[in-house]
Amino acid sequence: MASKGKITKYTGKPAKVLQSEPALVIEWPRNLAHRHTYGKLSPFFEGLTKGKLLATRCANPECGEHELWLPPRADCPDCNQPMTWEELPQPVIGTVHTYAHVEYAGAGIELTTPYFQVDVELPGVCTIFKGYLQYGTPEIGMKVQACFRTEDFTNTILDIYWIPVVNDADARF
Amino acid sequence: MITLKKGNLRIPKWSRKVFAVAGGLTNYKKFCPEMKLEEQVMVAFRQMLETNDLKLSPVEIKGLVNFLACGEFADHFQDQLLCEAKVTDYLGLDPMYDIGIKTGGATGGSTVLTAAMAIASGYADVALAVGWERMSEVDTRTGNYYIANAACKDFETRLSRIYAAYYAPMAVRFAWAYNLSEETRAKVAVKNHLYAYYSPYSQQPGKYTIQDVLNSPMSTYPLRFLECCAMTDGAACMLLCDEKTAYKLTDKPCELFIAGGSHTLRVADRRDMEIPLLPHETADMYKGLHKKEGQRWPGFESFAAARFAAYFAYRMAGITNPLEELDLVELHDAFTISDIQTYGDIGLRPYGQEPDYIESGDAYFGGKCPSNLSGGLIGTMHAVGATGIFQGIECLWQLQGKYDKFHGDPKIWEFFGKKKPEDWKSLQVPNAKQSLWVSHAGVGSHVTVGILRKAF
Repeated sequence: MASKGKITKYTGKPAKVLQSEPALVIEWPRNLAHRHTYGKLSPFFEGLTKGKLLATRCANPECGEHELWLPPRADCPDCNQPMTWEELPQPVIGTVHTYAHVEYAGAGIELTTPYFQVDVELPGVCTIFKGYLQYGTPEIGMKVQACFRTEDFTNTILDIYWIPVVNDADARF
Repeated sequence: MITLKKGNLRIPKWSRKVFAVAGGLTNYKKFCPEMKLEEQVMVAFRQMLETNDLKLSPVEIKGLVNFLACGEFADHFQDQLLCEAKVTDYLGLDPMYDIGIKTGGATGGSTVLTAAMAIASGYADVALAVGWERMSEVDTRTGNYYIANAACKDFETRLSRIYAAYYAPMAVRFAWAYNLSEETRAKVAVKNHLYAYYSPYSQQPGKYTIQDVLNSPMSTYPLRFLECCAMTDGAACMLLCDEKTAYKLTDKPCELFIAGGSHTLRVADRRDMEIPLLPHETADMYKGLHKKEGQRWPGFESFAAARFAAYFAYRMAGITNPLEELDLVELHDAFTISDIQTYGDIGLRPYGQEPDYIESGDAYFGGKCPSNLSGGLIGTMHAVGATGIFQGIECLWQLQGKYDKFHGDPKIWEFFGKKKPEDWKSLQVPNAKQSLWVSHAGVGSHVTVGILRKAF
């Protein structure tokens, strides 16, 4: 009989049986972390932590699209030429284009529910920027001001949020 | 502004005709522990081969297949890469080539489109479009988290983690722009849950009132749970052929046209653009559409991808007036609002008048062009990779006059462990000649429009 030599051992954790009828169902744990790059949009996310809202504009004079993009893009989708960064002037005041009240959220939500999600029109921007309202009740056409999480920032899109502006004089500088 | 040029607007053309001959479904349910994925696909495959009155035996038909298009929405759910290979092997179709198709909620439609292109090009005479999803592999909230990855992960996903929250802003804006009431939205839910009541395949059948829908718990305001589809386990199979083989296999083939459109993943990035007109529309119809402040097209109200898919599909099929020429439609009612938005995109009503399709009665069984007699996604299923195939099959069976055969046979109900309701009624559209289905992804990122025409 051959010597056993080095024995291959089981080092895992036995799968938990969740049910055995009408068929065997086991638990299959998954706990993974991805490495995700913000790539050329890194200045945008770094900007939020410093209280800046950065958008991009196509630098190509031949291109037909000259408004700002927010979410920004490094490259223009129309002419495919590089875009340049531009900071929106403070205070950043926008208009609610539409909204939703999130009551039931999926796993991993990082905001306390319920909360209002707002889609914001900004002057000179060709897109409509999505965010959340920190307090208050939105309506279409309402003015909102951008605020930034410059302390305890998250390094995610949640570093920008919006608050209602009752009138323009209330805008916080 | 997106500007389209001549080449972009070239109408897709088959090199030869494409036909659908048979379909197969499974029982659709939230959690199906009794079968593995490929075992569920087998149920649909066998129904397709064995109960569609085909003139050759299942084994003979398998001997004709030489291409598979396989639809699966998310590897996240199955947690198994290359399911396609497992399925093709399990069905006994090795070593035929199978291509995995993945376009979110439109996966099923894209799968049929891919199989159709194989037939039209001559790559295959007989191709299988098969799709599946096992969403119960994770709990519902984790499922919501996965699906929210079909929003932009950098700029949107963290703002909701649930897909209803990406449709809710559209519902709010649509109501403001085009006078849509909550009651009209609720009517869509009532209708589709009711039609699901007559289907043995359905997951969420129910006889609800408008008030029941409005009283149901809120997912994301203004969308309530009874207005939303659920997570589903299930599969679907459709068999496509060239003309000669189609008539060899069945006395009831239907000619198929299908085309797609895509648009940005983020609703935010939809810049205003000119509306591509359907054959029955004129530019004058939309002169007043932008009268409200901040209005744009497609904006939050409409889907450019659906409009483009319809723009192409109607011209491929020679349809000049959809409401008059279509006998029924199956639309992507993942949410009541997505269903309603599509009425304008595919020309059942002009943009801005979408609610009238429901309010006029046109959308109901017995109406001018009933929608979602299958029960749709809200009532019957959204096993995502299978959905656009399921919808096409329901359209096919209507044209073949087989609604009763596939929905009314008590044996099918019993096979799924259900009892056919005493008050079951037939939703067979009399003498239906032409039907359409919409397969739709994301917040309108991918849409296919398929048209089936009776060819017997």
